Amino acid sequence: MIREASGAELAPGREVPAGGEVRVAQVATVRERDRFIRFQEEVYRGDPWFVPPLLMERHEFLDPARNPFFRHADVALFLATRREEVVGRIAAVEDRNFNAFHGGRTGYFGLYESVDDPAVAEALFGAARAWARRRGLASLIGPMNLSTNYEAGLLVEGFESSPAILMPYNPPWYARLFEGCGLAKAKDLLAFSRSSHDPVPERFVRVAEKIRNHQGIRVRSLDLRRFGEEVERIKAVYNSAWEKNWGFVPMTDAEFDKLARDLKPLVRPELCLVAEDQGEPVAFSLTVPDVNQALKRVGGRLTTWGIPVGLARLLYWQRRIDEVRLIALGVKEGYRRRGLDAVLILDTIRRTRDLGYRGGEVSWTLEDNDLVNRAIEAVGCRRTKRYRVYETALD
Amino acid sequence: MRDLFDKCASWKEVQVVKLAGRYPYYRVIDETDGTEVVVDGKRLIMACSNNYLGLANDPRVREAAAEAARTWGASTCGSRLLNGTLRLHDELDRRLARFLGKEAAVVFPTGFQANVGAIDSLVLRHDLVIADRMVHASLVEGMNASLGRTRRFGHNDVEDLERILAAAEPEAGKLVVVDGVYSMEGDLANLPAIVALKNRYGARLMVDEAHGFGVLGAGGRGAAEHFGVAGEVDLVMATFSKSLGSIGGVIAGRADVVNWIKHKARPLVFSASMTPPMAAAALKALEIIEQEPERRERLWDISERVHRELRAMGFDTEPSVTPIVPIVLGDQVLAFDYWRRLTEAGIFASPVVKPAAEKELVRVVFMATHTDAQIDRALEIFERCGRELGVIPYRRPASRVEVRLARPGVSGFWSSRPEGAAAAGLAGGGSLELGELLGRRDEPLARRLADAAEVVTWRAVNAGPEELRELRELPVRLWRQRRRIAARLLSAGMERVARARAGEERRGEERRGDDRRGEEARP
Ligand SMILES: Cc1ncc(COP(=O)(O)O)c(C=O)c1O
Repeated sequence: MIREASGAELAPGREVPAGGEVRVAQVATVRERDRFIRFQEEVYRGDPWFVPPLLMERHEFLDPARNPFFRHADVALFLATRREEVVGRIAAVEDRNFNAFHGGRTGYFGLYESVDDPAVAEALFGAARAWARRRGLASLIGPMNLSTNYEAGLLVEGFESSPAILMPYNPPWYARLFEGCGLAKAKDLLAFSRSSHDPVPERFVRVAEKIRNHQGIRVRSLDLRRFGEEVERIKAVYNSAWEKNWGFVPMTDAEFDKLARDLKPLVRPELCLVAEDQGEPVAFSLTVPDVNQALKRVGGRLTTWGIPVGLARLLYWQRRIDEVRLIALGVKEGYRRRGLDAVLILDTIRRTRDLGYRGGEVSWTLEDNDLVNRAIEAVGCRRTKRYRVYETALD
Repeated sequence: MRDLFDKCASWKEVQVVKLAGRYPYYRVIDETDGTEVVVDGKRLIMACSNNYLGLANDPRVREAAAEAARTWGASTCGSRLLNGTLRLHDELDRRLARFLGKEAAVVFPTGFQANVGAIDSLVLRHDLVIADRMVHASLVEGMNASLGRTRRFGHNDVEDLERILAAAEPEAGKLVVVDGVYSMEGDLANLPAIVALKNRYGARLMVDEAHGFGVLGAGGRGAAEHFGVAGEVDLVMATFSKSLGSIGGVIAGRADVVNWIKHKARPLVFSASMTPPMAAAALKALEIIEQEPERRERLWDISERVHRELRAMGFDTEPSVTPIVPIVLGDQVLAFDYWRRLTEAGIFASPVVKPAAEKELVRVVFMATHTDAQIDRALEIFERCGRELGVIPYRRPASRVEVRLARPGVSGFWSSRPEGAAAAGLAGGGSLELGELLGRRDEPLARRLADAAEVVTWRAVNAGPEELRELRELPVRLWRQRRRIAARLLSAGMERVARARAGEERRGEERRGDDRRGEEARP
């Protein structure tokens, strides 16, 4: 569909314009989705920090028949072209679960990539806005790839390293393009990191141990042999734990199960902790080896000219990962503000060190979640990256 | 010698159904006010009329028809080409063209004739017409009548459509034909994706808006307006026998194309024109549709309520996103049994069986003029009969999937099935398929093979039980396709050889040309 083009409409059989006109068309076929996905490689060619996602994984992620996210969300992918060449891409999303949860009529944009050209950005946002307006949405937030349960935010500080697993990365100029298109900051997300060499401050250890003993909390590892049941337990805590947070949207069972299935091969049970009170799970933390370290060596493909070189590399480097990311930590309603998070963090740090990891990232947190941010800094984490979620009203 | 009529005498199916008391067709209606009818002395709620807005029974429309009969007579007794074009027909042509945003329009005696006439006259010997597998019978009739080549693509399967378009002869004129709203199951054509494809391949698009006209889109102009692609539909067809409460059909499009159809469409040229009362009724109804959008609102409200309630009871109304509510039963006997119970309990509905629908169903449509009390009563009957027959549980299920209807302003999906609720445009998803990857003729063969290897490796690495089964069949499939793969490799090689030889050929050409001239000279 070429209707939202910045220039004239595409009449049937019309010649491709000779000038630099940017055209935006909605992705209609698998073939075009393939171009949408592959365009990313071009943007980051030569970028030392970029971690190319696996091509096939992206296809699966954007396949409405395979990704359960699409059961409660409508997604339109747009490709911007100039003289037949792809110069940008964007997704527009209506997540019905988000709007049912928060009320209001908010849409997302996401999966943004483009060359450094305001005209391209303008055309892409024009298409996303028009799409959202047609559905009666009142505003857009993003980037969401494709919701806060996946990757969210635009990297605005901390460009000097690769992103951790399931964290976004982008060229620094995107912020300028976004702001040029009238987007304004909605919220910042923070990432912290920590080296295993740094000792945990004495005071923190004392406090955490006291909480553990006083409350009779037992921390145990995930039982991989009962993976299904464990997932159910964590799901219950997860969906009750985040309720009031900005941007949060509960995961459906199908989404949670898919995420669990995707993460299962990466998981080290020693790093997935469940805190129990009298045998009842009341909090959990999820830390996984930062597979991006291995993925970076693979270049997005499991095979080279048909030979599974990438797969071999992935398996080889996967065993040499030396960093982790603490992805999620949730405490059940009724157990909050009792310091359970401190216990889980302390145990995670100890186990990470004992397993021989060099360190890791804690991400992400809301910039204004002072309680959590202060606790993270109290164990010796440094703030390393800042991601920005933008918003724009639709008239 | 066989008598032509033998088959009729020995045809038992209908008699059996009649004897079993389950014959649902050709029922004689003795009285009607639109929303209720009397059949065999019994009052039934009419729940399957296409009189969506109730205009067939609107006093203003009736009066317009009566007035036209008094002024113009009962019939024109002539084709539009000759003595059958009254001021009424001319005005209707022009009003509809304006309403549909097209240069010109021409009115046919029925929608059926409009479809046959348009396709038959436009698609000539070297042309190609491609239709969705579920399009209305009148469009299929048009395809059968035309001299061109005909192809069908899987229902809303835009990848299938693209394959057909890509494989078409470049010289063939191409017409893609779809229903805006599919009349039995109430889902829409995935128009955004279809429009993108027809633009890419330089095809023309015809949309049958029979059930979308007066119902979908902010102005009631149909599914194309709903999706915001009305400007990209080359030929719009609509009938007056649904929302307009009359009978007749229209084709609207570019002026030169409509002019062609006016002179070449045999169902138009060789059939008497719309009767004056029907033309006047349609004109009046069009006026009301433009002035009273609240009727559409009411229709959507009622439909939403019916979908919701039926789903809450445990019925399946997929894939509809429109006022056409399919109560999907998936079994022919069940459909007829349910229909009979509904009739006994006071509802006039219609069973639909294969191949008219993908699964057997009872088709239910309410009208903007039904009262809330009538809907209450009907819903109560649907539930009671459903329980008695065991098609829904006695206790309402704890959860359900909420329906989302294609109301004005709520677009981006064409079906209430999960795949149809996904991105309009990215039709039902689909994964990278080996066949498609290998068939990308514009890419080097080595790259295609590398991509295919990537897909196979990914599947192998991520294989679950289902995929494993599929993978086990892969060698078999590759073996079956061995000729095609070999042929592709061969043709790639031959192409190169051919190119290398091109210069030589050209030189040879002149010599052969001389020879031929020599032959001609020899008598
Ligand atoms: C999709 C579709 N097209 C065309 C027609 C034919 O219309 P008419 O009743 O005007 O002949 C119908 C009606 O049955 C229809 O449902």
